[in-house]
Order: sequence, then C-alpha cells, then structure tokens
Amino acid sequence: MFSHRWLPLLLVAPLMLLVVLFFYIPVFQAFYWSFFLEQPFGGGSQFVGLENFKRVLSDPEFWMAGWRTIVFMLTASLLAVVVPLMLAIAADRRIALSFPARNILVWPKGVAGASIGVVFAFLFNPFVGLMAPFNTLFPGAWNPGIDGTDAFITLVAAHVWSGIPFNFVILLAGLRSIPHTLTQAAAIDGAGPWRRIFDVQLPLIMPQLFLTFVLEFTESITSVFALIDTITKGGPGGSTTLLVYKIYVDGFSGFDLSGASTQTAILMVFVLLLAACQFFYLGRRINYER
Amino acid sequence: MVAIGTTIRDASADIELIGVTKTYDAKNVVIPPLSVALRPGEFTVILGPSGCGKSTLLQMIAGLERVSGGKILICDREVQDLEPKHRGCAMVFQNYALYPHMTVAENMAYSLKVAGIPKAERNERVAGVAKMLGLSDLLARKPAQLSGGQRQRVAIGRAIIREPGVLLFDEPLSNLDAQLRHDMRVELADLHRRIGATSVFVTHDQVEAMTLADRILILNKGRVEQFDTPKAIYHHPASVFVAKFIGAPPMNILQVTGDGSVLRLPDGQAVANYSGKGSFQLGIRPEDISVNAGGSIKARIRYREDLGSHEILETEIGCQQLRIATPFGVEIDTTSVLSLTFPRGRLHLFDGETGRAIPEAFGTAATTQSMKEYQ
Repeated sequence: MFSHRWLPLLLVAPLMLLVVLFFYIPVFQAFYWSFFLEQPFGGGSQFVGLENFKRVLSDPEFWMAGWRTIVFMLTASLLAVVVPLMLAIAADRRIALSFPARNILVWPKGVAGASIGVVFAFLFNPFVGLMAPFNTLFPGAWNPGIDGTDAFITLVAAHVWSGIPFNFVILLAGLRSIPHTLTQAAAIDGAGPWRRIFDVQLPLIMPQLFLTFVLEFTESITSVFALIDTITKGGPGGSTTLLVYKIYVDGFSGFDLSGASTQTAILMVFVLLLAACQFFYLGRRINYER
Repeated sequence: MVAIGTTIRDASADIELIGVTKTYDAKNVVIPPLSVALRPGEFTVILGPSGCGKSTLLQMIAGLERVSGGKILICDREVQDLEPKHRGCAMVFQNYALYPHMTVAENMAYSLKVAGIPKAERNERVAGVAKMLGLSDLLARKPAQLSGGQRQRVAIGRAIIREPGVLLFDEPLSNLDAQLRHDMRVELADLHRRIGATSVFVTHDQVEAMTLADRILILNKGRVEQFDTPKAIYHHPASVFVAKFIGAPPMNILQVTGDGSVLRLPDGQAVANYSGKGSFQLGIRPEDISVNAGGSIKARIRYREDLGSHEILETEIGCQQLRIATPFGVEIDTTSVLSLTFPRGRLHLFDGETGRAIPEAFGTAATTQSMKEYQ
C-alpha cells in the first residue's frame, strides 16, 4: 500500500515515542529497580536479588493494601457494569429520547479522574453534601473523614459514576444489535419483559458484558489513584490506601524507590494474570455467533 | 399425551377482523378500516406487493403491533388489547428468529418452559415434533450449525409445539433457495393438513399463495382487492391489480375504447364486440390467446423466450405490449406478423378508471378450463 519505505514508520513514530517513553521504559525500569537497592536521591545502586520482594511480601501493610484493592476491584467494577447495564436496558426499551440520552450520558467520559474526585469530595461532604440532611437526623452517621467504610463507599460511588458512560454505550450498542424479531419471538413464546432480559437479552450481550468486565477489573485497580488522591489521600487511618496509592506514597513521600518498584512489579503481574485468566476461562465460553 | 404427529386435532380457532386500522400519523395510513373473517382450520394467504401492509396486518393479529382502531376476535374473544402470550398464536418469522444461544431442543421447548410445563413432558413433546419434522438428529445443535432449511424447520417446530389454535407465517420461505422453497411448500401444506390450525401466511410470492391457500387475501395499499379461493382469483380477478398480480407471465391488460358495438385498440383494430361506450381495460391471459392463420388481430413479434414446455412471445399490438404463451409443441413462424384470436369466453373487462372488473361483460365468464389447458 505504501510505496515509500520509511513513511509508515514515520507515521507511527509519534505514538511509538509516547508509548516507549511513558510506558515501556518505566515498566522495565520498575522491574529492574525491584532487584536493586536504589538510593533515594539518585547515585549508586546495589544489586540485592530477591531481598526487595522478601521485604515487601513480609510487610502486613502491603497485604492490607492488596486486600483493599481486591475488595475495591470486586465491588466497584461489579457496580460499574451493573448500573450502566440497568440504564442501557431501560434506554433500549424506551427509545423515544434515547438519542439525546446516549449523547449526554457519554459526556462524563471526558472528565478527568481528579475532577471527578473533587466533585465527589464535595458531594459526599458530611456538612454540605448530599448526606448532610441525613446527618442532621442521625448525627455522626455519615463522615468519610473519620469513618473508613464511608470513605471507601465514596470512592466506589465516584468510580462507578465515572464508569457509566463507556460501559453504558458498549452495553446499549450490544442490546440494540439484538434482532428485533428475536424479542418478538420471545414475546410470542410467552416471555414477559423481565423474562426476556434474562433469557434473551443478557445471553446475547455476553461479548459486551465480558469486554466491560475485563476493562473494569483491570482499570479499577489503577485508575482509582486520581480519586484517592483528591478525595481521601488514603485515609482515614489508611482505610482507603489501595496498592496503587501505597506505591505512590512509598515512592514519592517515603523515597523507598526500590520498595515502590517492587510493589509496582507485583501489581503489574497481578493485573496481567487477572486479564489472562479472564480471557482463558471466561472468554472461551462466550459465543460470539449471532 | 398422544404424539401430535399422528393425530388430527380440532383446536383451530376462527379469526375475525372488524374495522381494523393502522395509522402512524394523519398522513401515514398503513391500513384503512379492514374487515375480514377467517374460518376455523382455514389456510389464508395474505398476498401483496411489499409495503402493502400485509406484515403489519399479521403482526396486529399476533399482538406485536398495536391496532389504531377496530377489533380483532379470535374464537369470539376480543384480543386486540391483549399481550401476545394471551392470544394463543404462534408465529414463524422470515429470518427464523431462532435463539442463537440455545440448542434446537431448547429453542423448541422455550415456550413450554415459560409456560411452566415439567421437563419430562417438554422432552417428550420436543421428541414428537422433532420426529415429525425430521430434526431428531439435530436436537443438540445450535442454530448457527444448521442449514437454512433446517433452521426453518426448527422455527416451524417451535411454533407448532404448543399446539396453537392460530399459526402465523411471516414470509417464512423467502430466505430459502428455489428448490428448498418448493420442498418446504409441500411440507407446509402437508403439515397444515395434519395439525389443522387456522393459518395465516404472508407472502409476496403468488406461487406460494396459489399452491398453499384455501383462500387468498390480496392486499393493495392496505385495502382488500379480493378475498377468494385461488381458482376464483385466477379466473375471475376482481380488478386490474389482481389480474396483473396473479399468473406468470401476468394477464395482458390492453387499453381499449368502446364505440357502442366494438372495443377498439388505439390503432383502430377491433378486438371484441361490446355494447358499452368509453374507455375500458381489456384483460386476457397469455395462455388464452390462440395463434392461427384465420385470426383477425395482428401483432408484431419483438422477441421470444423458449422455456422448454412452452414459449413466451413478446409482441406489440398498437403500441401496447402483449405476451402470448404458446401451447406445447406448436411451431410458430416468428418472422412474420402474427394473426391472433382472443376467445370471447376468456376475455376480462375492467373499468377504464377504477380498474374494477365488469362481471359477465362477455356473457359466460372464463371457465376453469384454461388453467388445465395451460398446464
């Protein structure tokens, strides 16, 4: 297609440069550093083998952060798929205003995670936010600044909200692609709207559900950083310190560059394994035929 | 339960449409008030060109489209406001509409499962229907692993497994190739004879209509042009529309003018005696025209199609097109001008403006003879 030998390379060069500079080099750097003891302000380093891994894996703080990460991953990504799924099913049924709705609902996709964090910090503020009236009835019932569970719920809510646009669009597209006659056939067969959701619609949007789940699982682990940093700063009392935030704190506040690199390596391997498992065990069972 | 394959049930329902209308807005009238009655156990074919409202009519009977007005009665019960599942209709769709994630057996058993019928009975009935339709070896397959004909059989099986009083078909054969379509047509006719449900079959294919129907309902822009037996529709078309729609090749329609004693073509040739005055449309089927040396009507040949069993001659008569089907074995000299005779008993006369038939215009109307001669 291209007669010029260097033109294709030239065209992909800017993207390649970005990916190499901000992804591959840091990734290899992190793996490399996880086997060395780095000095906090640069200068010499010392090869220590698996010492960094021994140190990190014997640290209870690491396991706590890991556990919170898994809890967050399961609750937040489940809700971030189920809530858009309900919206999509509703939008699919009442198509009168679905065109503007589809467009308006996709806008939050353009909002940066940090901005969402600021908004939700305000929304869930115990004194002026949405829960303030609730607090006047039951004083002290809601306070994410003191109560770790409340802070965690705030994070989950913010994450789910930010996940709605993309997942909504994907799932709605899946629902809209189900042939109309299939719904009609199910109606003639005697299935009501609820029954049709579980017997016809959900099985037929399995590819879309799988895609959103895979993306959510992997993304919820990393993209939550912006929310934590703006809403809770990992508090109160470390209750919202997920692994990705702990890495940042260890590395940039504690200057434990080797420890942070080691945790990064572990987290990355975990995410890779997770995605691989999903593809091998779930992905194979999905029928893409229509 | 007795296997349905062998029994002839008497569960058929009668369907009555009273002033049924469908409009999307003031300008967009799909079906103006329409009233017809279908007898129990009857096989009715709704025939018409695309966009004539035939599928809409079927969907309104099924409950998939709301009626804008009027009543639909199934077994003397008003059903127009009921959900599809309460109407006792089963339907076969054009694109089969099989559930792609279910096996053949699950597809057929789905309506029974929704109805809460125990698994043992479901399996028994699936086995019975599968045997009847020759699907026994395919029960574990998914629809994607089936051929078009097999999918259509599954769709039919899914419809009849509930033993519905009303069976609706929405162009079920149009996705099949010609040979398969013929085979399925024969099977459908046989199936209808065995299960006896009141059937409504929508198609734009006149051959399907002629061969399957007890009665054909011909729709044109939502209006009933004619509702009669295939024979009556063929031999006594009620309008130019019907005359042109039925028959292959269709009936010739010639513009003629009556001067009080004879009907003349625009070029002045007299084609028949008739006492009426004014403009008319004269119809004659290609197979009813006889080509002989003594004929008084002259036509020029433009080209000929040899179909083996007979030939179709494309001719021109007074600037109008005229098709002639020659009987088998008759050699015709195609180099010269043809001499034709229009047998008086085979002529059809239609009003020049409305296109409605003028019955008994030439005394005794066409008989059933011509169809036999043709074949």
